[in-house]
Amino acid sequence: MAEPRYYDIRCVRGETTLVDIDNGVVESAGTSFFDKAVIRVLGPKGWGILTRDHVDIDSKRDLTALIEAAARLAAVTQDQIDLADAPRSALPVPRLGEDPRDIDLEEKTRLLAGIEAAARVPEVANTRARYTEGIDQVRFLDSSGNEFSYEAVRSGFSVLAIASRSGMMQMGSERDHIITGFNLRDKQDLGRKAGEIAVSLLDAKLAKGGAGRAVLDPELAGVFTHEAVGHASEGDLVREGASVLAGRIGERIGCEGLVIVDDPTLHEFGFIPVDAEGVAVQRTEVIRDGILSSYLHNRETLAAVGHGIPGHARAELGAPPIVRMSNTFIENGDATYDEILSECKDGILLIGSRGGQVDPGRGVFQFNAEYGYLVRGGETTDMVRDVSLTGEILSTLHNITLLGNDRKMSPGYCGKGGQSVPVSDGAPHLLLESATIGGRGE
Amino acid sequence: MNGEDLIERVLREGERQADEVEVFYARGESISTEIKKGILGIAEESEAWSMAIRTVKDGRIGSSSTGDPDRWKECLNAALASGRIATPQQWGGFPKPADVTGTASSSDPDLIVAVENAAEMVGDLLAGAAEHPVEVIGGGAGPPPAYLPGANTSGVFYGMDRTVAAVSLETIREQSTGYEFDASPFLADIDARSVGEQAASLAARSLSGRDIETGRYDIVLSPVAAASILGQVLLPALSGRNVKAGRSFLAEKIGEQVFDEHLSIYDDPFAPGLGSTTWDAEGVPTRRLVFVEQGVLQRFAYDLKTGYRYGEGSTGSAVRSGSEGPGIGFHNLFVDGPRMKEPGDERAVWIHDVVGAHTANPFSGDFSVEISNPFWMEGGEQTEPIRTAMFAGNVFEMLREIGGFGKDTRRVGRLTIPSIRLNNQQIIGK
Repeated sequence: MAEPRYYDIRCVRGETTLVDIDNGVVESAGTSFFDKAVIRVLGPKGWGILTRDHVDIDSKRDLTALIEAAARLAAVTQDQIDLADAPRSALPVPRLGEDPRDIDLEEKTRLLAGIEAAARVPEVANTRARYTEGIDQVRFLDSSGNEFSYEAVRSGFSVLAIASRSGMMQMGSERDHIITGFNLRDKQDLGRKAGEIAVSLLDAKLAKGGAGRAVLDPELAGVFTHEAVGHASEGDLVREGASVLAGRIGERIGCEGLVIVDDPTLHEFGFIPVDAEGVAVQRTEVIRDGILSSYLHNRETLAAVGHGIPGHARAELGAPPIVRMSNTFIENGDATYDEILSECKDGILLIGSRGGQVDPGRGVFQFNAEYGYLVRGGETTDMVRDVSLTGEILSTLHNITLLGNDRKMSPGYCGKGGQSVPVSDGAPHLLLESATIGGRGE
Repeated sequence: MNGEDLIERVLREGERQADEVEVFYARGESISTEIKKGILGIAEESEAWSMAIRTVKDGRIGSSSTGDPDRWKECLNAALASGRIATPQQWGGFPKPADVTGTASSSDPDLIVAVENAAEMVGDLLAGAAEHPVEVIGGGAGPPPAYLPGANTSGVFYGMDRTVAAVSLETIREQSTGYEFDASPFLADIDARSVGEQAASLAARSLSGRDIETGRYDIVLSPVAAASILGQVLLPALSGRNVKAGRSFLAEKIGEQVFDEHLSIYDDPFAPGLGSTTWDAEGVPTRRLVFVEQGVLQRFAYDLKTGYRYGEGSTGSAVRSGSEGPGIGFHNLFVDGPRMKEPGDERAVWIHDVVGAHTANPFSGDFSVEISNPFWMEGGEQTEPIRTAMFAGNVFEMLREIGGFGKDTRRVGRLTIPSIRLNNQQIIGK
């Protein structure tokens, strides 16, 4: 068999701590352990990939056997893959304020219970809170002699409140996840907020579907950025012909002044010190002044497509690396929130996110707000619920007419190819012209 | 140490510190291939091993899991520690050795794990797609089998082999995309060529769709679209845990006519399917459960923990995903009803799939989603493509009046479901 052109091994060993409190009952609270390895070998044409539980990365013999097995798989592939050269280095990980490992499970449970209890305001029928903590010890080595190891610590929670009145149920939810330490102290206000939103939604109106002006808050505008631009700029989708942004580098696809960035170096929830192929991470401007300027790449998509920056390979635990976003955002403009509302005049203000999805080949995306307010004469009026937005990637960015100056990042998880990775999205408040709003109100 | 020996060791060691112990372990290997740009791009093989432990002491349930056999003691200690924090509850014990009745098959002895088999399925997918003028973006084929045994200190030991053969294909023509898939425990059920042909046909036929005006229309949800929307809203509402926690729209409605009199929903763990099994994930014998019969709500699903807590008893509905502990779920859920009439006799909007079903409100049932591969349907035939639109509604309201079920029942994951006609629904055009 031909010598592999390249191989790498990535092991992630660590533990996950979860606490789940439902209506005041501690449903579960505990720690689990994992130890996963992914071995990739580049054969004469394409990749052969093995995933294993519990591999001894320091055993030469084990390693050789795994590489041979992966090489046998690679031999059946037909897709010619080449790897671009890319800078190799790792950033230091942020210092932890308070290390979650120093806090015992009892205290974590007690703090989470405080947040959950705070959500139980009058008319709230159910509250639920979950704490999630992950400690990943990552080791990477490749056939070019690169070797990296680092530790990633994530800590955060979500809280859900369901308000109920004469058969009607509405929800409010809040979450906060960080990579810089323990994240459960002094967070009762987020629990209370979830409860209050759930209750106020009991009196909200159904939004009416149709085209109109919309103001997006920083969280929802972040999801908009992620769905409308982020995915379609991923190099693997571009290479496979699955993105409407393919072949459009240098084209104007958004309004003047629009800058959209993916930056894995920021100490937000999507931070990585080095990517999953051992490539140095760097800030990537996908759109500069309204013009498509870079794709997000790993080494193979950079070689195949060009026009972009590598260092965007990421992998879920035990899964092979694919091109992913990290911290994705729209840079600030100079409009104030009040200017945006007054410019909107009559329309809708949309707040918070229930997630979104995109078909990047068709160029169509959908995302959902947690709630909103009708805007009349530049003032917010009635509260509305169950409202979503759709748009088309190639036209929607031209419809941004005002960019705020108050960018804020929100943590979350993004799914692609069956893998989920931590990310953050953000933007300032922004004003969208002729947005397509979905709602079942008449 | 082999799996059975390790299970035995954990049980004996755990018994000394807890009233009861349960060990569930899974080992599996799988081969899969990924298609990139119309050719075989990646070949992947995976071996997985995981063990989940639950301990019960004085009604406090603890749990942990590990992917490293050497850490079994640490895992057991973590389960015990977790139990010390859990709120105590009513507990009547893990299942005793019981006579398991019924037969269920989720395993195909002819399914051999070899990369050549997966490569052959890729060949069939691509041959099917070649029947239409489209480009293949991606897809894959893979049969991942697994062996799933569990045991507890009441002397129950249960184990089963599971196999899955799965194929999918994603195609594009200009800005028109198509996606199709199929999965079954049995290799012979999978027609890779036909899946490839369907994926390509969707992209080819959806090209140059016309706009649709905002308004109310009769629609037909394909089995895929219906499964996406119902899966997000209806299934959680049938979970006993959500019912008792005050999170289910259906709570306190047992015996009521909640849906159209033609709609029935039941779980049949003995039918051949991806979730077929004679025990659930806690070793409780499974049974056929009718949740909704002719529109009348009959019951909810429970696992041991929720069943004991509320005095309802387990319905054999525990399922596991990954290395997480068991939760309430469904084995082979059927959405069914008499075929009163062809769903497409009168003009309607056919919706093949939706974008964003996961953003639906699972508690109120409200949703507004983008629709994929919509067509005008006339005389039961899909005719002109529609460019793009949104579909907004409420799951609980729309199931109160059903216009008909199609004869095209298919398996979508653990759900088996026909196309559903719904009249007078809200479509938002662009």
